[in-house]
Amino acid sequence: MKILVAVKQVSVLDDEFEMRDDGRDVDEDFFEKDLNEFDHFAVEEALLIKEASGGEAEVVIVTVGDDDADDALRTALAKGAERGVRVWDDSLVDADSVTIAKVLAKVVEREDPDMVFTGAQSVDFGHAATGMALAGLLGWPHAAVVSKLDFKPGDENATIHRELEGGLEEIMSVTCPAVLSIQLGINQPRYASLRGIRQARQKPVDELDLSDLGLSAETVKAASRVRRMYAPERGQAEIIEGSVAEQAARLAEIVKELRGA
Amino acid sequence: MASKRPAKYDILFEPIQVGPKVMKNRFHQSPHCIGAGSDKPGFQAAHRGVKAEGGWGAINTEYCSIHPESDDTHRVSARIWDEGDVRNLRAMTDEIHKYGSLAGVEMWYGSSHAPCMETRCTPRGASQYASEFETLTYCHEMDHDDIRQVQQYYVDAALRSRDAGFDIVNVYGGHAYLPVQFLSPYHNKRTDNYGGSFENRARFWVETLEQVKNAVGNDCAIASRFAIDSLYGTAGVEVEVDGIKFIQLADDLVDIWDIKIGDIAEWGEDAGPSRFYRQGHQIPWQKFVKQHSKKAVLGVGRFTDAEKMAEVIRNGELDIISCARPSISDPFLPQKIEEGRIDDVRTCIGCNVCISRWEIGGPPMICTQNATAGEEYRRGWHPEKFEPAKSDDTILVVGAGPSGTEAARVLMERGYVVHLADSAEKVGGHINAVATLPGLGEWGYHRDYREVQLDKLVKKNRDSQLALGGKPLTADDVLTYGADKVIIATGSSWSGDGTNSLSHDPVPGVDAAKPNHLTPEQVIAGSKEPGKRVTILNADPYFMGPSLAELLASRGHEVTVIDGVGFGNYMHFTLEAPNMHRRLHELHVNVIGDTWVSKVEDGRVQIYNIWGDGSRREYRGPGVIPREENRTYEWHDYDTLVLVTGRTSNDDLFRELKARRDEFTKNDIKGVYVIGDAWAPKLMADATFDGHRIAREIEEANPQLPIAYKREASVWGAAYLPDGEFRQEWRV
Repeated sequence: MKILVAVKQVSVLDDEFEMRDDGRDVDEDFFEKDLNEFDHFAVEEALLIKEASGGEAEVVIVTVGDDDADDALRTALAKGAERGVRVWDDSLVDADSVTIAKVLAKVVEREDPDMVFTGAQSVDFGHAATGMALAGLLGWPHAAVVSKLDFKPGDENATIHRELEGGLEEIMSVTCPAVLSIQLGINQPRYASLRGIRQARQKPVDELDLSDLGLSAETVKAASRVRRMYAPERGQAEIIEGSVAEQAARLAEIVKELRGA
Repeated sequence: MASKRPAKYDILFEPIQVGPKVMKNRFHQSPHCIGAGSDKPGFQAAHRGVKAEGGWGAINTEYCSIHPESDDTHRVSARIWDEGDVRNLRAMTDEIHKYGSLAGVEMWYGSSHAPCMETRCTPRGASQYASEFETLTYCHEMDHDDIRQVQQYYVDAALRSRDAGFDIVNVYGGHAYLPVQFLSPYHNKRTDNYGGSFENRARFWVETLEQVKNAVGNDCAIASRFAIDSLYGTAGVEVEVDGIKFIQLADDLVDIWDIKIGDIAEWGEDAGPSRFYRQGHQIPWQKFVKQHSKKAVLGVGRFTDAEKMAEVIRNGELDIISCARPSISDPFLPQKIEEGRIDDVRTCIGCNVCISRWEIGGPPMICTQNATAGEEYRRGWHPEKFEPAKSDDTILVVGAGPSGTEAARVLMERGYVVHLADSAEKVGGHINAVATLPGLGEWGYHRDYREVQLDKLVKKNRDSQLALGGKPLTADDVLTYGADKVIIATGSSWSGDGTNSLSHDPVPGVDAAKPNHLTPEQVIAGSKEPGKRVTILNADPYFMGPSLAELLASRGHEVTVIDGVGFGNYMHFTLEAPNMHRRLHELHVNVIGDTWVSKVEDGRVQIYNIWGDGSRREYRGPGVIPREENRTYEWHDYDTLVLVTGRTSNDDLFRELKARRDEFTKNDIKGVYVIGDAWAPKLMADATFDGHRIAREIEEANPQLPIAYKREASVWGAAYLPDGEFRQEWRV
């Protein structure tokens, strides 16, 4: 029994930042790298299933990212996962969610897990698409924003709860294997202990490139691209002073301006 | 990278001419006590020197007695009485000059406020009065010979100050000391040409300034500290009456006006605690001076914020920002502003625990925020620089309150890998509750500083971690955590059974499990609704009782305090007591003092006068107390009982680990230590110190116990004066 957890090293912005010269992203000097917050919950959920089963399950962490992303991978391993897989190729620099899902699908073929978990979304881009695309490519069922999960190794179906609009909760059953996108709050993620961090340094991580997965730069060409990223001008507040008549006149003026009259 | 300071702060870094000297910027460390004086020159030099390094443009001694007639023992002042003092204070001025800052001396003659308990001199004053501060001490009313003589003391002290390397000599007429005693009709009842009219009352001060200026004015800047309003109305000095007139009269005699308000008996109106006063609280008085003076004007007001500092200069209210407490809390405040590192400023919380040590008389100053304050020389602690880690040991700190956060911060500054664990979502421990009490919001700066620094450090120190909001760690968790060393900082809790410092036992009938018996934690958390009539059992001498009384009375409860130890007694030392008592009086809080509780029943407490009835003591054999047993009791009704009786360490985790010490080796644990309130409940300043201390000494053979510090004391075999004799010399 194996659970594969796909994680992402995300970028966290500083309070102040500058844009990259090409205007398509923030200058990387202005962010910190960290394991995606949602992924802490996905990893925890896998570890809880493993522990509840008396260690029958193996938890494997996979990420798509360069050497830097090793930190995120080791963070997840330090919590208690068995081993890791890291895939990278320079042609993945501009990868979109679907491209990442294509890579992950090949890792799933290779690892043959019984279940795949992802975070519900990444905190930096927030597409919430990778898990869904992965399930689509694999032809597996997918559930988004899973807030409660009842599953143990060997089960043919998993029962999941999902939070819906209006405070509604949906209970559904999915056949396994499946891709589940895990929501914040489903559990209380553990912190890695110092022992865990030390052990994580020794844990095996398969470092794969595209050819190891039977892919090529052509097959992972992104179908979408970021054209521009910028901070829109914010609207400005104005304190209207003067007599009631003056205030009313100014107010009318503003309304006209806003309506483009 | 440190960014450069915003242009709006440039005004704080403009040099300013003060008489024959140039001050390099607008940051002035006001005279403040530290417990060093001139008898601990290493302490004095290191503490002031660190501030020069941190960018203060001018740095002063504490009040510095000009003559043995002004002896404040057992409180510690500096002294410039003789060559021995000159030698010792030169250590300070040399250290300050290394960084291009100016050294200032506050020349002090206390009159009847100086009890002269060491020198056994008789102080002299404008008139004869018993001090309103030292109410046992009277002064001798000066005649004209006395006036000449005391003025000569100022001149001689100024000359010695110049020789000791001081750049600024300050004729100290603040806090109701001698010059302002002459000016104030509250002290000056004379009918000769030194009393009566404004001109006559001003004469002593003006003459003294003239003489000091003639003596050292070419070499030193002449400053005068002036309590420009006694806050007594017409009974004392009022800013817009005698205050401004004196500025106009003496303006040509000074280079710097050092302006403050208030007296000495209630000097918390000057050194205002954050509980009652915000920064810049003296500006409404200070601002008049610049309208009538051509000289540099400086003033205190616990300025902590660069924004406010720049604003008061821009507004023409002051020329120079003077700070005592903010300079203790962060000796590098100017440098951090200059480098644009505002979020690294260790902001003064205004608790006045620094001041409490002077008020107690004798102990070295301590600071709640800055554990290195007072430890610069004797322990070698620099506020901003740390010895690099001496090993690869990893350290687990359990508990993120004042002590744990400080330990983790300093360990990480040293480069250690640290995990700081707390079951709360936010660092700060009990400060998160305390800072919600009336007036104590600024105490939260203690947490905020550490929170910001820990967030930065944890990003810098690979593998370090803030593990907040998890389940409380068990002994098993700690043993298998993988840390080489473990520091337990789990704090303390208020007793739920009434255990107190008077009986050392629970109070019968008290039980915080009952819905109407509340610990302070329960009151603050709002977990139980208090009834209309609240009775506080108080056996703690600090802030918790008064704070809860204020909180509950301001919410409309009828509050009675049964107090057995002196309600808010320590707040006399922090200068919070006068306004605290006024506040509770306004809120109709009924404090029944000298009283404790013998037992509690449902809805009523049995109380007794702590002195009881047995004034005569005699031996009566075993099993019988040697006094008449107390026979007098009263009953007092309550709806809700609040238990400010005593605290107990949360040390279960530490004790369980200690009991399992034989498991340390197999888990590769080198040691488990306990700090802060979990060791023993203490002041927040001392808990912070514990955390800092263990982090500096973690490599020692037993980091649980502090290593010896460098002592400064008289050394047998050496004379104090250069040409003195140390051996006994009988006058027979």
